[in-house]
Amino acid sequence: MTWTERLFPPETLFSKGEAATLAFTYFTAGLAVSVLHVTAGTDPITMIAAALIVNSATATLAYAAVVSSGGSTFAGVLSGWLVSTRFGLFAAAIGPRLWPERWKRAVASHMAFDPSVALAMREKDDVDARRSFVSAGLWLCVPWWLAAVVGSLVAERLGDVNALGLDVVLPALLLAIIWPQLQTRQGRLIAAGAAGAALALLGITPGGVPVLVAGGAALLALRSKAS
Amino acid sequence: MLTWSVVGLLMIGVYGQRALGATLVDTNRVSLRWKHVLENVPLAIISGVVALQALARGQTLAVDARLIGLAVAALCAWRRLPILVTVVAAATATALVRAVS
Repeated sequence: MTWTERLFPPETLFSKGEAATLAFTYFTAGLAVSVLHVTAGTDPITMIAAALIVNSATATLAYAAVVSSGGSTFAGVLSGWLVSTRFGLFAAAIGPRLWPERWKRAVASHMAFDPSVALAMREKDDVDARRSFVSAGLWLCVPWWLAAVVGSLVAERLGDVNALGLDVVLPALLLAIIWPQLQTRQGRLIAAGAAGAALALLGITPGGVPVLVAGGAALLALRSKAS
Repeated sequence: MLTWSVVGLLMIGVYGQRALGATLVDTNRVSLRWKHVLENVPLAIISGVVALQALARGQTLAVDARLIGLAVAALCAWRRLPILVTVVAAATATALVRAVS
Protein backbone atom coordinates (compact mmCIF):
# COMPACT_ATOMS: atom_id res chain seq x y z
CA MET A 1 0.00 0.00 0.00
CA THR A 2 1.36 3.41 -0.95
CA TRP A 3 1.41 6.37 1.43
CA THR A 4 -1.22 8.15 -0.68
CA GLU A 5 -3.56 5.21 -0.15
CA ARG A 6 -2.70 5.11 3.52
CA LEU A 7 -3.49 8.82 3.97
CA PHE A 8 -6.52 8.91 1.66
CA PRO A 9 -7.89 5.35 1.76
CA PRO A 10 -9.94 4.85 -1.44
CA GLU A 11 -13.52 3.51 -1.20
CA THR A 12 -13.85 4.39 2.46
CA LEU A 13 -16.12 7.07 3.93
CA PHE A 14 -13.10 9.04 5.20
CA SER A 15 -12.92 12.20 3.07
CA LYS A 16 -10.20 14.74 2.32
CA GLY A 17 -12.29 17.41 4.03
CA GLU A 18 -12.34 15.35 7.19
CA ALA A 19 -8.60 14.79 6.97
CA ALA A 20 -8.01 18.56 6.69
CA THR A 21 -10.35 19.23 9.61
CA LEU A 22 -8.66 16.68 11.85
CA ALA A 23 -5.28 18.22 11.04
CA PHE A 24 -6.53 21.75 11.70
CA THR A 25 -8.35 20.86 14.92
CA TYR A 26 -5.55 18.83 16.46
CA PHE A 27 -2.92 21.35 15.44
CA THR A 28 -4.77 24.19 17.14
CA ALA A 29 -5.68 22.02 20.15
CA GLY A 30 -2.05 20.88 20.39
CA LEU A 31 -0.88 24.51 20.36
CA ALA A 32 -3.33 25.45 23.12
CA VAL A 33 -2.45 22.48 25.33
CA SER A 34 1.32 22.78 25.02
CA VAL A 35 1.23 26.54 25.60
CA LEU A 36 -0.87 25.95 28.74
CA HIS A 37 1.58 23.38 30.11
CA VAL A 38 4.77 25.25 29.25
CA THR A 39 3.54 28.55 30.68
CA ALA A 40 2.69 26.59 33.86
CA GLY A 41 6.35 25.63 34.17
CA THR A 42 6.76 22.40 32.19
CA ASP A 43 10.09 22.11 30.41
CA PRO A 44 9.53 22.37 26.59
CA ILE A 45 11.36 19.10 25.84
CA THR A 46 9.36 17.24 28.50
CA MET A 47 6.17 18.68 27.00
CA ILE A 48 7.07 17.44 23.52
CA ALA A 49 7.83 13.98 24.95
CA ALA A 50 4.52 14.02 26.85
CA ALA A 51 2.59 14.80 23.66
CA LEU A 52 4.31 11.92 21.86
CA ILE A 53 4.24 9.16 24.44
CA VAL A 54 1.30 9.97 26.69
CA ASN A 55 -0.68 11.06 23.63
CA SER A 56 -3.58 12.32 25.70
CA ALA A 57 -4.20 15.96 26.54
CA THR A 58 -6.99 14.83 28.86
CA ALA A 59 -4.50 12.97 31.05
CA THR A 60 -1.81 15.67 31.24
CA LEU A 61 -4.34 18.47 31.80
CA ALA A 62 -6.08 16.50 34.56
CA TYR A 63 -2.73 15.93 36.25
CA ALA A 64 -1.90 19.65 36.03
CA ALA A 65 -5.34 20.65 37.35
CA VAL A 66 -5.04 18.42 40.42
CA VAL A 67 -1.45 19.37 41.25
CA SER A 68 -1.94 23.10 40.70
CA SER A 69 -4.92 23.07 43.09
CA GLY A 70 -2.72 21.58 45.83
CA GLY A 71 -3.10 17.84 45.18
CA SER A 72 -0.20 15.41 45.54
CA THR A 73 1.74 14.02 42.57
CA PHE A 74 0.16 10.64 43.31
CA ALA A 75 -3.38 12.08 43.20
CA GLY A 76 -2.49 13.90 39.98
CA VAL A 77 -1.23 10.76 38.23
CA LEU A 78 -4.19 8.74 39.44
CA SER A 79 -6.64 11.29 38.11
CA GLY A 80 -4.70 11.38 34.82
CA TRP A 81 -5.21 7.62 34.51
CA LEU A 82 -8.86 7.85 35.48
CA VAL A 83 -9.79 10.54 32.95
CA SER A 84 -8.18 8.52 30.15
CA THR A 85 -10.24 5.37 30.74
CA ARG A 86 -12.31 6.49 27.76
CA PHE A 87 -9.38 5.73 25.46
CA GLY A 88 -9.39 2.15 26.74
CA LEU A 89 -13.09 1.90 25.91
CA PHE A 90 -12.52 3.43 22.47
CA ALA A 91 -9.76 0.90 21.84
CA ALA A 92 -12.09 -1.90 22.92
CA ALA A 93 -14.76 -0.65 20.50
CA ILE A 94 -12.46 -0.45 17.48
CA GLY A 95 -10.00 -3.25 18.43
CA PRO A 96 -12.04 -6.20 17.14
CA ARG A 97 -12.42 -4.48 13.76
CA LEU A 98 -8.70 -3.90 13.20
CA TRP A 99 -6.50 -6.98 12.83
CA PRO A 100 -6.76 -10.53 14.17
CA GLU A 101 -3.17 -10.22 15.49
CA ARG A 102 -3.26 -8.74 18.96
CA TRP A 103 0.19 -7.11 18.77
CA LYS A 104 -0.86 -5.06 15.74
CA ARG A 105 -3.97 -3.88 17.59
CA ALA A 106 -1.84 -2.98 20.60
CA VAL A 107 0.49 -0.85 18.46
CA ALA A 108 -2.35 0.91 16.63
CA SER A 109 -4.27 1.54 19.87
CA HIS A 110 -1.86 4.40 20.63
CA MET A 111 -3.85 6.36 17.99
CA ALA A 112 -7.25 5.61 19.57
CA PHE A 113 -8.79 9.07 19.95
CA ASP A 114 -12.43 10.15 19.94
CA PRO A 115 -12.62 11.15 16.24
CA SER A 116 -10.39 8.41 14.81
CA VAL A 117 -12.55 5.71 16.41
CA ALA A 118 -15.87 7.41 15.64
CA LEU A 119 -14.95 7.97 11.98
CA ALA A 120 -13.75 4.38 11.57
CA MET A 121 -16.86 2.92 13.21
CA ARG A 122 -19.01 4.40 10.41
CA GLU A 123 -17.61 1.89 7.94
CA LYS A 124 -19.71 -1.20 7.22
CA ASP A 125 -16.73 -3.29 6.23
CA ASP A 126 -13.98 -4.16 8.73
CA VAL A 127 -11.15 -3.66 6.23
CA ASP A 128 -12.45 -0.16 5.47
CA ALA A 129 -12.81 0.50 9.21
CA ARG A 130 -9.16 -0.39 9.75
CA ARG A 131 -7.98 1.77 6.85
CA SER A 132 -10.08 4.71 8.02
CA PHE A 133 -8.79 4.32 11.56
CA VAL A 134 -5.12 4.31 10.52
CA SER A 135 -5.61 7.25 8.17
CA ALA A 136 -7.64 9.35 10.63
CA GLY A 137 -5.13 8.47 13.36
CA LEU A 138 -2.24 9.79 11.27
CA TRP A 139 -4.13 12.94 10.23
CA LEU A 140 -4.77 13.64 13.90
CA CYS A 141 -1.59 12.53 15.67
CA VAL A 142 1.05 14.01 13.37
CA PRO A 143 -0.35 17.59 13.49
CA TRP A 144 -0.87 17.16 17.23
CA TRP A 145 2.79 16.22 17.74
CA LEU A 146 4.00 19.01 15.43
CA ALA A 147 1.85 21.51 17.31
CA ALA A 148 3.35 20.34 20.59
CA VAL A 149 6.82 21.09 19.20
CA VAL A 150 5.80 24.51 17.89
CA GLY A 151 3.68 25.39 20.94
CA SER A 152 6.35 24.36 23.43
CA LEU A 153 9.00 26.41 21.71
CA VAL A 154 6.98 29.62 21.17
CA ALA A 155 4.78 29.40 24.29
CA GLU A 156 6.21 32.55 25.86
CA ARG A 157 5.30 34.64 22.82
CA LEU A 158 1.66 33.50 22.48
CA GLY A 159 -0.86 35.19 24.72
CA ASP A 160 -4.16 33.89 25.98
CA VAL A 161 -4.98 31.07 23.53
CA ASN A 162 -8.58 30.79 24.72
CA ALA A 163 -9.32 34.32 23.51
CA LEU A 164 -9.19 32.79 20.02
CA GLY A 165 -11.93 30.32 20.92
CA LEU A 166 -9.58 27.35 20.63
CA ASP A 167 -11.30 25.58 23.51
CA VAL A 168 -14.40 24.92 21.36
CA VAL A 169 -12.48 23.54 18.40
CA LEU A 170 -12.49 19.97 19.73
CA PRO A 171 -16.10 19.79 20.99
CA ALA A 172 -17.28 21.39 17.71
CA LEU A 173 -15.42 18.75 15.70
CA LEU A 174 -16.81 15.94 17.86
CA LEU A 175 -20.35 17.28 17.56
CA ALA A 176 -20.04 17.43 13.77
CA ILE A 177 -18.74 13.85 13.71
CA ILE A 178 -21.57 12.37 15.78
CA TRP A 179 -24.23 14.50 14.02
CA PRO A 180 -25.30 11.77 11.53
CA GLN A 181 -25.82 9.35 14.42
CA LEU A 182 -28.20 11.84 16.03
CA GLN A 183 -30.60 11.42 13.11
CA THR A 184 -31.97 8.18 14.55
CA ARG A 185 -34.19 7.98 17.62
CA GLN A 186 -31.88 5.52 19.30
CA GLY A 187 -28.84 7.69 18.60
CA ARG A 188 -30.52 10.74 20.14
CA LEU A 189 -31.58 8.68 23.15
CA ILE A 190 -28.04 7.43 23.78
CA ALA A 191 -26.50 10.89 23.27
CA ALA A 192 -29.02 12.63 25.54
CA GLY A 193 -28.65 9.97 28.23
CA ALA A 194 -24.85 10.21 28.08
CA ALA A 195 -24.75 14.02 28.15
CA GLY A 196 -27.28 14.14 30.99
CA ALA A 197 -25.40 11.56 33.06
CA ALA A 198 -22.06 13.33 32.57
CA LEU A 199 -23.44 16.72 33.61
CA ALA A 200 -25.38 15.28 36.56
CA LEU A 201 -22.24 13.66 37.98
CA LEU A 202 -20.01 16.72 37.47
CA GLY A 203 -18.63 17.92 40.79
CA ILE A 204 -19.99 14.91 42.69
CA THR A 205 -17.53 12.31 41.41
CA PRO A 206 -13.78 12.56 40.62
CA GLY A 207 -12.90 13.74 37.07
CA GLY A 208 -13.20 10.94 34.52
CA VAL A 209 -16.08 9.17 36.27
CA PRO A 210 -18.82 11.28 34.57
CA VAL A 211 -17.47 10.31 31.12
CA LEU A 212 -17.18 6.64 32.11
CA VAL A 213 -20.77 6.54 33.30
CA ALA A 214 -21.82 8.39 30.13
CA GLY A 215 -20.28 5.50 28.17
CA GLY A 216 -22.80 3.26 29.92
CA ALA A 217 -25.56 4.96 27.92
CA ALA A 218 -24.47 2.69 25.07
CA LEU A 219 -26.42 -0.02 26.92
CA LEU A 220 -29.58 1.73 25.67
CA ALA A 221 -28.73 0.10 22.34
CA LEU A 222 -29.80 -3.22 23.87
CA ARG A 223 -33.40 -2.03 24.09
CA SER A 224 -34.42 -1.56 20.49
CA LYS A 225 -32.22 -3.70 18.27
CA ALA A 226 -32.34 -7.22 19.65
CA SER A 227 -30.70 -9.19 16.90
CA MET B 1 4.10 21.13 35.88
CA LEU B 2 4.99 17.91 34.09
CA THR B 3 8.24 16.16 34.99
CA TRP B 4 9.85 13.17 33.26
CA SER B 5 8.70 10.73 35.95
CA VAL B 6 5.12 12.04 35.74
CA VAL B 7 5.19 11.70 31.95
CA GLY B 8 6.41 8.10 32.35
CA LEU B 9 3.70 7.23 34.84
CA LEU B 10 0.96 8.84 32.74
CA MET B 11 2.20 6.94 29.68
CA ILE B 12 2.00 3.61 31.52
CA GLY B 13 -1.59 4.28 32.59
CA VAL B 14 -2.85 5.74 29.31
CA TYR B 15 -1.12 3.39 26.87
CA GLY B 16 -1.78 0.45 29.19
CA GLN B 17 -5.50 1.11 29.03
CA ARG B 18 -5.44 1.61 25.26
CA ALA B 19 -3.49 -1.60 24.61
CA LEU B 20 -5.59 -3.59 27.06
CA GLY B 21 -8.83 -2.34 25.52
CA ALA B 22 -7.65 -3.10 21.98
CA THR B 23 -6.46 -6.63 22.75
CA LEU B 24 -8.93 -7.84 25.37
CA VAL B 25 -12.04 -8.15 23.26
CA ASP B 26 -12.15 -11.22 21.03
CA THR B 27 -14.30 -10.53 17.97
CA ASN B 28 -15.58 -14.08 17.63
CA ARG B 29 -16.75 -14.33 21.19
CA VAL B 30 -18.90 -11.22 21.23
CA SER B 31 -22.61 -11.77 20.54
CA LEU B 32 -24.36 -9.53 18.02
CA ARG B 33 -26.27 -7.77 20.78
CA TRP B 34 -23.11 -6.81 22.61
CA LYS B 35 -21.37 -5.89 19.39
CA HIS B 36 -24.17 -3.40 18.86
CA VAL B 37 -23.61 -1.96 22.35
CA LEU B 38 -19.85 -1.75 21.75
CA GLU B 39 -20.50 0.12 18.48
CA ASN B 40 -22.46 2.72 20.41
CA VAL B 41 -19.83 3.29 23.12
CA PRO B 42 -18.00 5.98 21.09
CA LEU B 43 -21.26 7.90 20.50
CA ALA B 44 -22.12 7.76 24.22
CA ILE B 45 -18.67 8.80 25.44
CA ILE B 46 -18.31 11.58 22.86
CA SER B 47 -21.73 12.96 23.84
CA GLY B 48 -20.57 13.05 27.46
CA VAL B 49 -17.27 14.69 26.50
CA VAL B 50 -18.98 17.35 24.35
CA ALA B 51 -21.45 18.17 27.15
CA LEU B 52 -18.62 18.59 29.65
CA GLN B 53 -16.38 20.58 27.31
CA ALA B 54 -19.28 22.92 26.61
CA LEU B 55 -20.55 23.39 30.14
CA ALA B 56 -17.94 22.35 32.71
CA ARG B 57 -15.30 24.66 34.12
CA GLY B 58 -13.18 22.49 36.40
CA GLN B 59 -15.59 20.67 38.64
CA THR B 60 -18.53 23.07 38.29
CA LEU B 61 -21.09 24.01 35.64
CA ALA B 62 -20.42 27.26 33.81
CA VAL B 63 -22.44 28.77 30.98
CA ASP B 64 -20.26 31.02 28.84
CA ALA B 65 -19.19 31.83 25.26
CA ARG B 66 -18.44 28.17 24.56
CA LEU B 67 -22.16 27.40 24.42
CA ILE B 68 -22.64 29.99 21.64
CA GLY B 69 -19.74 28.41 19.75
CA LEU B 70 -21.30 24.96 20.00
CA ALA B 71 -24.72 26.27 18.99
CA VAL B 72 -23.07 27.66 15.86
CA ALA B 73 -21.41 24.27 15.30
CA ALA B 74 -24.78 22.51 15.64
CA LEU B 75 -26.33 24.95 13.16
CA CYS B 76 -23.51 24.31 10.65
CA ALA B 77 -23.81 20.53 11.10
CA TRP B 78 -27.57 20.75 10.61
CA ARG B 79 -27.09 22.77 7.41
CA ARG B 80 -24.57 20.09 6.34
CA LEU B 81 -21.77 22.59 5.89
CA PRO B 82 -18.27 21.15 5.46
CA ILE B 83 -16.79 19.99 8.74
CA LEU B 84 -13.85 22.44 8.55
CA VAL B 85 -16.28 25.35 8.13
CA THR B 86 -18.15 24.08 11.18
CA VAL B 87 -15.06 24.01 13.37
CA VAL B 88 -13.75 27.41 12.25
CA ALA B 89 -17.20 29.03 12.61
CA ALA B 90 -17.53 27.68 16.16
CA ALA B 91 -14.12 29.02 17.21
CA THR B 92 -14.77 32.39 15.53
CA ALA B 93 -18.17 32.78 17.21
CA THR B 94 -16.67 31.97 20.62
CA ALA B 95 -13.79 34.40 20.09
CA LEU B 96 -16.20 37.16 18.97
CA VAL B 97 -18.47 36.71 22.01
CA ARG B 98 -15.39 36.88 24.25
CA ALA B 99 -14.10 39.97 22.48
CA VAL B 100 -17.32 41.93 22.99
CA SER B 101 -18.19 40.73 26.50
